Amino acid sequence: MSLCRFLPVPSDRMGIVWSLLSIKDSVVLEYGPAGTTHFSMGLYGTLGVEWRQSLFTTHMSEDDVIMGDVTRLEEAIVEIDESQHPKVIFVVTSSIAAVIGTDIKGVCNYMQSEVKAKLIAVDRGGFRGDYSKGILDINTLLVKKLAKPLAVKDEKSFNILGASMGRFRMQSDIWEIKNMMEEGFGFHLNTSLCADTSVEELQNLAAAKINIVLSYEALEAAQLMEKKYGIPYVYKVPYGYQATMEFLEAVAAALDVEVNAALMGRLQEKNAELAMYKMMGRKKTHLAAFLKGDYDTIMGIAAFVASTGIKISHKICTHSLKPIPDCPEDVEYYADEKDYLNCLAEMHKALILGDDITLEEAAADNMKVRISAPFVNGAQVAKHLPLMGEKGADYLLEAIDAYFWHL
Amino acid sequence: MTENKGKEIVSKLIPLSKAKKVKDIPQLTHALFPGTHCPLMGAAMAVGGIQGSLLVVVGTDECTYYTKSMTIHSENFGGLNGRCVSVVLNDHDVTFGSTEKMHETFKEIMEEYKPECVFLVTTCVIEIIGDDYDAIAEELSKEYHIPVAAVHTEHFKCEDHFPGLERTLTACAAMMTPQEKDGSINVLGQRMGDFATTELAALLKEANQKIGMQLPSGCTVDEVRRAAAAKVNIVVHDIALPLAQEMEANFGIPYVYFNRFADPEKIYANYQSLFQYLEVPVPAAVEEKYAACKALIAEKQSKLEGITYIYGNTPYDCFEINNFMTSLGMVPQVIQTNRLPEHDKENIQGILAKADPLLCKSANIAPLQYVYDELHPHLYLGHEFGARLRKKGIAVVHSDMAMNMLGFETTSYLLGQIEKAIDECFAYRKELGL
Repeated sequence: MSLCRFLPVPSDRMGIVWSLLSIKDSVVLEYGPAGTTHFSMGLYGTLGVEWRQSLFTTHMSEDDVIMGDVTRLEEAIVEIDESQHPKVIFVVTSSIAAVIGTDIKGVCNYMQSEVKAKLIAVDRGGFRGDYSKGILDINTLLVKKLAKPLAVKDEKSFNILGASMGRFRMQSDIWEIKNMMEEGFGFHLNTSLCADTSVEELQNLAAAKINIVLSYEALEAAQLMEKKYGIPYVYKVPYGYQATMEFLEAVAAALDVEVNAALMGRLQEKNAELAMYKMMGRKKTHLAAFLKGDYDTIMGIAAFVASTGIKISHKICTHSLKPIPDCPEDVEYYADEKDYLNCLAEMHKALILGDDITLEEAAADNMKVRISAPFVNGAQVAKHLPLMGEKGADYLLEAIDAYFWHL
Repeated sequence: MTENKGKEIVSKLIPLSKAKKVKDIPQLTHALFPGTHCPLMGAAMAVGGIQGSLLVVVGTDECTYYTKSMTIHSENFGGLNGRCVSVVLNDHDVTFGSTEKMHETFKEIMEEYKPECVFLVTTCVIEIIGDDYDAIAEELSKEYHIPVAAVHTEHFKCEDHFPGLERTLTACAAMMTPQEKDGSINVLGQRMGDFATTELAALLKEANQKIGMQLPSGCTVDEVRRAAAAKVNIVVHDIALPLAQEMEANFGIPYVYFNRFADPEKIYANYQSLFQYLEVPVPAAVEEKYAACKALIAEKQSKLEGITYIYGNTPYDCFEINNFMTSLGMVPQVIQTNRLPEHDKENIQGILAKADPLLCKSANIAPLQYVYDELHPHLYLGHEFGARLRKKGIAVVHSDMAMNMLGFETTSYLLGQIEKAIDECFAYRKELGL
């Protein structure tokens, strides 16, 4: 518990709900006070998540809290089943229900026989970690609960795992991965876990030939699918030309095919031009970058920025590092907002890549580029302006180039 | 199926005549969409209007995230670096309590923000774990020599955001000190809209009357402290009634309950009381507007006779507007409300003299679709998806602009909006061949 001047790190529950709202033909039913649900709609709208007719609340009265009465939850499950006919109802606990210890799983178990929809209990009240841990757990849960073994594979399809709607430019990144997989291998997208998908698509996850993992948050899910369905996965997030080439080569190796030569040639050419920045950098006395964002975003973009000769001063993760396997020591996470602000205050004439709050708080003599959430100064409209892949690298390189001129 | 669902939902509602307390009012369904606003939001709205004060939300990261998000683009709060901060609870605080850490954090708050007063707004989990924030606020107030008020906003004990507004306003009473009277008029409870644009404000200006504190629509901490200098309080919404009553008890300031009423008789009586307290003659314009308003009603009434409607949510006083509309021959089929206030008995009796509408809780528009198919009202008063209702031959009465009105203008505006919607309704029904 400490003073939070700006936006706190979203909770596991928030990450879970924005992930689940991306699944068509399902409904999220929150067992908690209506105000929390109503208040949350603004955030989900900003993230580009559709919540109308997908997000319901039971509300809770003092009697429910004191007596532990779950009648209204039972009634709400039946009502939603009858009125919305969803394939799945995700019953999500609230902070109050978590504190008083409501047995959501038990309720779902005995109510399952009363309804046609599949009931999936999500007993996270916001106290078991931050949004990243929530996304990790829900990715795994969705694979466990929804993916089915399939007799027929779609040999030319792939899944994207770890596509969180909470990440800045996620839909654009999905668009870019689709472009690259099409051009590189003639593959098409089966589905994304968990952005713009449906219950049916998630049930057909096992149809894909390969899983593309865009975040550590889906690594466990990918490993589970490899074990259960024999689907290989590639976890090399393609930020920058070099990483994009490595990504394509890793996919090619996993599929035992060749990458489209024209695509690789283009990337090699662009990558070679980065040497010029290193040369230019030698003449500059002060080249530094400060990054803040999700783990995979800052790791990937920092590597690309460093390849142009810019020193990385800070890689600050917006979420806890605890669940990250083999997290490098130079990645920082500050539970107390003040500590990160102190790091930021030291930055001058640097390239700041982060969320809107970081950009606003950074000194004016820095060069600033938005790469992560939260974004509070303007909506995210485009779905074709990625940070990943070839086009993402083009965009980031323009920012880097501008930074060199800015100094 | 849809028809049965509509019948089933309607059969669960209770008539107004049977409702004795708010707990008697049923929800349309147990699964709610979008659900009511949170009292935390109400508290934030109120604090936003008090310049110099700091809003400190004590709660989960979720509650604090949404509240800060709401304030970031608010000029009142001063943007990203503005007057809203939070103290976020973690699992350790839930188990071991937050008192000690709150004291440590408050020191940091005082050093960085130097507020003139602080509202410690607690949320659901604080109330469940039982941390005593009234005591904490008192201790902090003594330690730092500024007003620190605890505002409790647990949503599981109330219906919507209004208690958050009410409790914040009421907490301001403790900040007020006795003052020499300056003949001013305080405006209490203007939560949205601009008092300055109202007919009432214009008439007071013409009568050379001085407006004092406007809480929560825009005042300073210092103005709150000196609010007892006023001659009279005008209460423009229920949320300010407890504050007005406390100010009357503490400082002898009378108040006039001048809500956004629809009935011109009530508005006329309010003008009379107000100017009597001010000890100035009632302006001639009041008589003129009163007469014009009555003439307008006489002109429109025949068109309103027999028009059925479902009442959702408007800037008007719920039972007063329904009583007025019923008195004009309109037929309320369902009234959505989250409260049955004591002072509304007269209005409720007025409605019951002509009709006995069904009651349900508000902010649950998803199942209303079935109710429309069962009751086929002409009009819906409140926020709904107009295109969806058009397909059912129902027109929406939009009345949000009334937020900027007080006085006879609220009646004439309402009549105009109803008339417009009636015309639309019949045009829609013609389109549908009904």
